[in-house]
Amino acid sequence: SSNEHKLNFKKSKEACLNYIQDALLQKQWKRAAEFLTCYVEALEKDYSREHIGPSEMIWRIGTEILWHHSQSSMKEFNCFMEQMKTLGVKRYLKVCLEHVFHLLCNGQIDEAYQNLSLAESWRFGEQTAIQDKEMKLIQAYRGLLDYYSWSKQKNILLEQGEDGFSDLAVEQEMHGYFRKAAVNLKEIIKIPGVWDIFMKCYVDLLEFYGDHNEARQVLNEYAYNSKFPANPNAHVYLYQFLKRQGESKKSLISALKILHDIVPSHELMIDFNTMLQKSKKRKKRRLGLEVIFAALDYAGWKENAKAWSCLARQVKQIVISEKHLDWIKQEWNSRKDWWPAFHFSRYLAKRNWQENKSLSYEKALVAGILLGKDCKYFKYVSHQGCKAQLKRFRMLKRFVNKHSLVCLRISG
Amino acid sequence: GCWIPSPAPEDIVYRSSLCRKLRAGECGATLDFAKQVGSEALHPGEDLGGSVGPLHALTLSPPSHTAGPFLSRNSTIRMTALVEDIDRLEARRGCPRQHLASRLRWFSHLCRDWLFEVPLGLLADCLHEELTHQWSSLLFDDSLTGGALAWLPPASGGPPVGRLVHPGGQAMNHLHFQDVVLEELPRARGSPEQFELSGRIRQVAAARVDGQDFVGVRSDYHCGVWRVPGKTGAAPAPLQVIRTDMPASCLTVSPHLPGELSVCTQSGTVYLWSVETGLQQLRHDPQTMFFRDHSPWRWSDFTAHPRVLSCADRTGLQCVDARAPKRCHFDLFKVGEEAGCQQGERVVLPMYLGRAHPSQYLVTTQFSIYVLDERLPLVPILKWGHMMKAPPLFAHLMPGKPGRSHKVLLGASRTQELLLLQYQGRRSRGSQSVCQLAGTPQKLHDIAGCLQHLPTQLPHRQHLLQQRLAAPAAGLAATLQEDGPHNSMLVFQLSEAGDVFCQRLTHKAAQPPAPPSRDEATTAPGSSPLFEAPASSPLGSDAAALRYRRWLRALSRACREPPRHTWRPSLSQRRLFTRRDLEGPAGPSSLHRQMRQRLRQTMREGGRVQRWEPLTTLQRPPLPQTLEPAGGLEPLNARLTAAWAGDWEQWWEERSSFSVAQRQRALRERRRRQKRAQGRRSLSASFTSSLTYQSELSELSDSGPPVPSPGRPLTLSREGTPPAGSPPVRSPPASPAHDEALLSSQSLRCRGIPKERRKTLRDYLSVWAEGP
Repeated sequence: SSNEHKLNFKKSKEACLNYIQDALLQKQWKRAAEFLTCYVEALEKDYSREHIGPSEMIWRIGTEILWHHSQSSMKEFNCFMEQMKTLGVKRYLKVCLEHVFHLLCNGQIDEAYQNLSLAESWRFGEQTAIQDKEMKLIQAYRGLLDYYSWSKQKNILLEQGEDGFSDLAVEQEMHGYFRKAAVNLKEIIKIPGVWDIFMKCYVDLLEFYGDHNEARQVLNEYAYNSKFPANPNAHVYLYQFLKRQGESKKSLISALKILHDIVPSHELMIDFNTMLQKSKKRKKRRLGLEVIFAALDYAGWKENAKAWSCLARQVKQIVISEKHLDWIKQEWNSRKDWWPAFHFSRYLAKRNWQENKSLSYEKALVAGILLGKDCKYFKYVSHQGCKAQLKRFRMLKRFVNKHSLVCLRISG
Repeated sequence: GCWIPSPAPEDIVYRSSLCRKLRAGECGATLDFAKQVGSEALHPGEDLGGSVGPLHALTLSPPSHTAGPFLSRNSTIRMTALVEDIDRLEARRGCPRQHLASRLRWFSHLCRDWLFEVPLGLLADCLHEELTHQWSSLLFDDSLTGGALAWLPPASGGPPVGRLVHPGGQAMNHLHFQDVVLEELPRARGSPEQFELSGRIRQVAAARVDGQDFVGVRSDYHCGVWRVPGKTGAAPAPLQVIRTDMPASCLTVSPHLPGELSVCTQSGTVYLWSVETGLQQLRHDPQTMFFRDHSPWRWSDFTAHPRVLSCADRTGLQCVDARAPKRCHFDLFKVGEEAGCQQGERVVLPMYLGRAHPSQYLVTTQFSIYVLDERLPLVPILKWGHMMKAPPLFAHLMPGKPGRSHKVLLGASRTQELLLLQYQGRRSRGSQSVCQLAGTPQKLHDIAGCLQHLPTQLPHRQHLLQQRLAAPAAGLAATLQEDGPHNSMLVFQLSEAGDVFCQRLTHKAAQPPAPPSRDEATTAPGSSPLFEAPASSPLGSDAAALRYRRWLRALSRACREPPRHTWRPSLSQRRLFTRRDLEGPAGPSSLHRQMRQRLRQTMREGGRVQRWEPLTTLQRPPLPQTLEPAGGLEPLNARLTAAWAGDWEQWWEERSSFSVAQRQRALRERRRRQKRAQGRRSLSASFTSSLTYQSELSELSDSGPPVPSPGRPLTLSREGTPPAGSPPVRSPPASPAHDEALLSSQSLRCRGIPKERRKTLRDYLSVWAEGP
């Protein structure tokens, strides 16, 4: 009957867990806490080979309860966390990290720093690969806190510098923080992964001390190393760095070109388009048209007046000069079956006119050129514009009528 | 009408111990989704194998003929006892036939008249297949994914009248468009607009494009799309219907372009369906994407780019560009290390969160939810373990206004669970705020939970009510009502019985100590019922109580009707063949004409026609049994021919076993029969010539279907074993023409038989003709 007992024990354990989950999801923290105290008995005979064992369960649920329970204090929370750290050796670093997050959320930065330092000095047996990774993460977060202290000191110094007064001790301290932060941050960004926040801090440190080569190298590695996930932010950081450095247009364009390939719908595509439009090279202007067309394919850009004005400007230029009409035609070919319904429906004409007149102006211009003067969108907007006696819209109508032959060549 | 509940575990698994186990453990081992979805569960669980086995054995055991001693018994068998017998049989799996229990034999005897009709092997196969199917759908019915309830919000600026689209009717095959007035208590206005469809509605999906709602409706083999104009009160118009060869598993409506939908079938095909241009196949791959998984479930949804669609199976998601589906695709989500998935974790429902953020995606598994950004694929930006007991099949997004959180509702089918979670992750100018959960997720009331708040009924009514309320959920929809200070959320839930329930959650301003950004929605004490359906809490208002009473009365009235399925089923074959099939060739054949002629002639003569034999000059019509089933013969043809010849059983054995030995035996048997027949003929040669036609007659009756005679009990003997009473008759192989000649009265006269004896002779022959 020991087997039966075991089964019963397992069943009641499961039932208890169900009750706790039920209480958690209904925000009944007190009830959940009461059940959790019963669940602690599950630790006694832990035969389970489940993905998450009872001790981990207690840690996770306990933190959640203590975090929300109205009568819990930070002291109790810390106490619970300390107990949890000793409950499972394999989980020690994870629990530490979680504890630190909670302390940070409560604004106890110094305690958090202490905890991180303590965790860093912790050793248990042979270090496994997972432990190694977690240790790196702990060090990185300590580096982040060092960076935080560093930037605080920096601000103090900057303020003092304005007064024409400098404190050597503060400066020394600041350099100390820099060294500690840089060492740890440098380590984490070597591992393939998404480390945006660490990256930004590290680059900021390097730039402050004028180590631009190192910064460039790190950013390039982060953006172009194929072991890292294709992270659009990496290219954004690189582009921003290059821009700060006053790099040539060419390198800026090549950075943005890759961003365009990864995420055609990125906000920076407007900058990219403006940059390309200004270029003297035909190929680049052509790319600019591609970029802005591609961006406007996305639903998130539908009502972006700036993007529409970019497109309208470039299309207008091409129509006036009557050169490279084939560019527009080629872009339009792959879109003519769905753009009219997506962008230029009568419903949208009405709504755009009501909500944003300048957006409807730009869109009407594009619609008039791409679809001709009989297009619903153009007809509605130009009609409304003329009715409202807006000079801009009258000019728009005249422009499209004048170039209707060109328009025919595009849409035909 | 009364709802027909879908099968419960008890209906399939009748072993009592297992039933208990299933009922006791709410999430028992046998109903483990992970196991079912995981590839290792292709073979049904141990318990299933054990319990389906006996049924299999039962259907395979041939009907017993030794029914004699049981004839005095009555014709009812207690199934429970029978099941026990089968269980016992199962225990001695080694040689089940030798230990056939008497009850089992009695059962076989009682059923043999129809059991025999059904090819047993085929029946067993079908039954097994059906049981497996039923069992797996009981474990996890993914045909309901997406849910069959849609909410069409009121047109902006119009009166607060929305529409609920949901299936109804006994077979859930009526599509209802119901106007709902959003007042303090949502109220159904008028009777719903109804469309009768030809199949059970599995999913209703809707999206609003350019102020019009497009409603996609999926049943197993048909998908349809309706357009609902934005004006209130405008009638929905059906636009197009497509039929699929394989059951469709997904239908989503494009939020970007009017009249565009995506359809997936279980064969692994994904189509972009445009009402204007028709279907475009984007992908066809019966295999799963990232690793092998047996589930044929596929899903597809739209993304931020109107030409790029996501395709999902249980192992992950990929995005495919409709302009170049072969070349342009990328992985969006993969069950595996990147997302930190557990073992056995599988995708249950993906959903495009475009209304909240143009590039975000929700993926739910049976353990967790993930929020993904398609610009940084594969790495989830939010992960949270939802702790639901059943996998979330339904999800509904309510985008929050700037500064507020987005709300996602998750719903499970079998357990009716309902979970509300709120997250933030909005694009603000320039910088991107981190995607994070706002507050803790919250469980909402399920339908069955409101029973305790309702007034008690008579016990049997209470039971009925309980059953009705416990019906699995079939859909989920919700809407935010933001009118001034009274912000609230209305949650609609559809049950499989076709009832729609509603609960209202009112917004309470967050308490001062809590962070101000947290948007807490709590269930109000007075949740309200919609339609005639009850909901949680003591019935707050009189109107609700009235509606509840009306609903209850209708329910008990509907269920008082005698349940139809307890009547003895009768099968009609009338429609199996059309009249035309049964008719002969169009015009009367030459034989017919001659027969008629003869009949007329005889009538004119005032004589009698005793035998419908053609005239001597006529060719004898070929009898069916002479048609030897050739190899190239159509199966149905061959089977009918065999049935005509009376050796249908043998035909089946030949067909099903294909064993050489059996075939040889059959061949030998046939030869022996032929020999015997020849022998008969040769023997009859020694009789007087007048007896020859008798032999021909006996030959005829022998090979035809046995004629019932009072003396012998009806047995279906195999062809070839001659009835014991008939003497071996032999006759020389006489030419048919000669035989026919013998029968006519002229020929009798020719043979010198006197007129007065001719009748005696004919009568004598007819006695012979009637069989042994």
